[in-house]
Amino acid sequence: MILKRKLLIAVVLLVSSQSVFAEEIIVNAERQFDKLTKTTVRAMFAMRIHQWSDGTPVTVYVLKDNNPIHITFCKTLLGMFPYQLRKIWDRQIFSGTGVGPIQLNTEKEMIQAIADNKGAIGYISSTADTNSHSISTVEVIK
Amino acid sequence: MRAYLFMACLVSSSFAYAENKSWYDDILIHGFISQSFINTSDNQFFGNSENGSFDFSELGINASYQLLPRVRLAAGLLSRQAGAFDNGSPRFDYALADIRLFSNQHVSSGIYLGRVKNEIGLYNSTRDVPQTRDGLFLPQVIYFDKVRNALISSDGLVIYNNIYFDNGTLLMQASTGYPLADKNVEYAYMGNDWQGNLQNDHLAFSGMLRYEQNGGQWIYSLTGSSFKIDFDAKGSDTIAAPIGPGFNSGTMKVDYTVLSLQYNAEKWQLTGEVAFENVNYNDIGGPLAEMDINSIGYYLQASYNINTRWQTFLRFEEFQLNKHDWDGKKAARNNIKVSQQLAGLGINRAPIPAQEYYSRSWVIGTRWLIDQRFMLRAEYHKVHGAATLSPRENEVSSTTPKWDMFALSLSYRF
Repeated sequence: MILKRKLLIAVVLLVSSQSVFAEEIIVNAERQFDKLTKTTVRAMFAMRIHQWSDGTPVTVYVLKDNNPIHITFCKTLLGMFPYQLRKIWDRQIFSGTGVGPIQLNTEKEMIQAIADNKGAIGYISSTADTNSHSISTVEVIK
Repeated sequence: MRAYLFMACLVSSSFAYAENKSWYDDILIHGFISQSFINTSDNQFFGNSENGSFDFSELGINASYQLLPRVRLAAGLLSRQAGAFDNGSPRFDYALADIRLFSNQHVSSGIYLGRVKNEIGLYNSTRDVPQTRDGLFLPQVIYFDKVRNALISSDGLVIYNNIYFDNGTLLMQASTGYPLADKNVEYAYMGNDWQGNLQNDHLAFSGMLRYEQNGGQWIYSLTGSSFKIDFDAKGSDTIAAPIGPGFNSGTMKVDYTVLSLQYNAEKWQLTGEVAFENVNYNDIGGPLAEMDINSIGYYLQASYNINTRWQTFLRFEEFQLNKHDWDGKKAARNNIKVSQQLAGLGINRAPIPAQEYYSRSWVIGTRWLIDQRFMLRAEYHKVHGAATLSPRENEVSSTTPKWDMFALSLSYRF
């Protein structure tokens, strides 16, 4: 009986730890949509799409390359590895053909930055507290 | 008094800026600095490497500024100390205006105007930035340091068009401009610094087709560049053989094509590139009359990410100056014959040996990202052949065919 309960707790922990690793893309609440294609999201985080359809400039926020949230975001939502994004950014930054994203240190800074900039896009882990901020989550579709 | 007033105005205006965002807050600045140590068993590469050379350092700073919604300005300054190739004097690596003509969620296209890096292979556009290379040196069999400046960038315009398909991204570029012709180019294509000069008054053309499938899991790339450089023979250049080289003024036409393939997985990266170079000498005559170059260079590299900080790689690379005369056997035999004939006339000229016509090497290396800014690299090269060495640093008739190289570098970026 005790063993069963321990097993149950272990399963619950496993399931909940899974959900900790689910990441979500967030944008400023002024963006009037809740879906983006994977192709568009990839191109935006590669710094290759420069404006939203209404003409507002896109501002991309990311966390540091080795931040676990950044790593999971790249793998699960973009289907890429952090080093691939880093290569694309560096190629643009150091040949003058483009720019890199704005790197932040914490999820809290990310939420604040996106609430403050109407052209912003970024990501958070789904456990982050986003209440009382003018941001909305976006679903990535195929 | 006037000066005070001026100062006061300045101070108050800077306070005013501090409240709102000022224009210079939007300037993005990045840079890098790197110092290497090179030790070769024989031959010289980037300085007096047989005794251990610190003569390879790279320093760069660049800025990007969004001037208008559709116009961005960018410039990069580079100072590079590299043995006899580069003395560290700073120059504009690129300086361009990026004018966006059209952009939506499926396509973006525009023009780069100014000095723009040429897209050659996967790495040329950022070849002097240590953090963007997959080794301490780029494979010399494709990214020759001895002719770097003719291919590195051109002054002109580039039209670009990127298309975002669900399956991947297609990047296209077509460009025209004037190549940069300097002493390194003269040494590489004409074997010496002659009295005459190289002129770059012909427009060069280059192009790129690059497809990044599935977010860059597979990258396929075709790049090419075609340029002409005039040689104006002067003074002793025109003295006939065997006393002088017997050159006339004429033109060199160079075509350079690179095919690249890369596979990127979480742990493994596999890269292969092959380059074809054709050089035709027109009217220059002298020893170059029958020296048209048809070279091939290629490498295969396997990199393994041990974790996000540590990476190791193994690479094989080969270069053949004449793909119809593998390992320069025929050329070397001919050179010996010519030397013997000259000796009969009382002129001593050592023959150029076979190793000057090829290079084959195995390279093993490792990279440690100490943090996001500092990086340490170490690599070991086992080389057979001397084609990647420059006559600026080595006497071509007396290079050692089998040599080893160890190199170490510490780099910082911001």
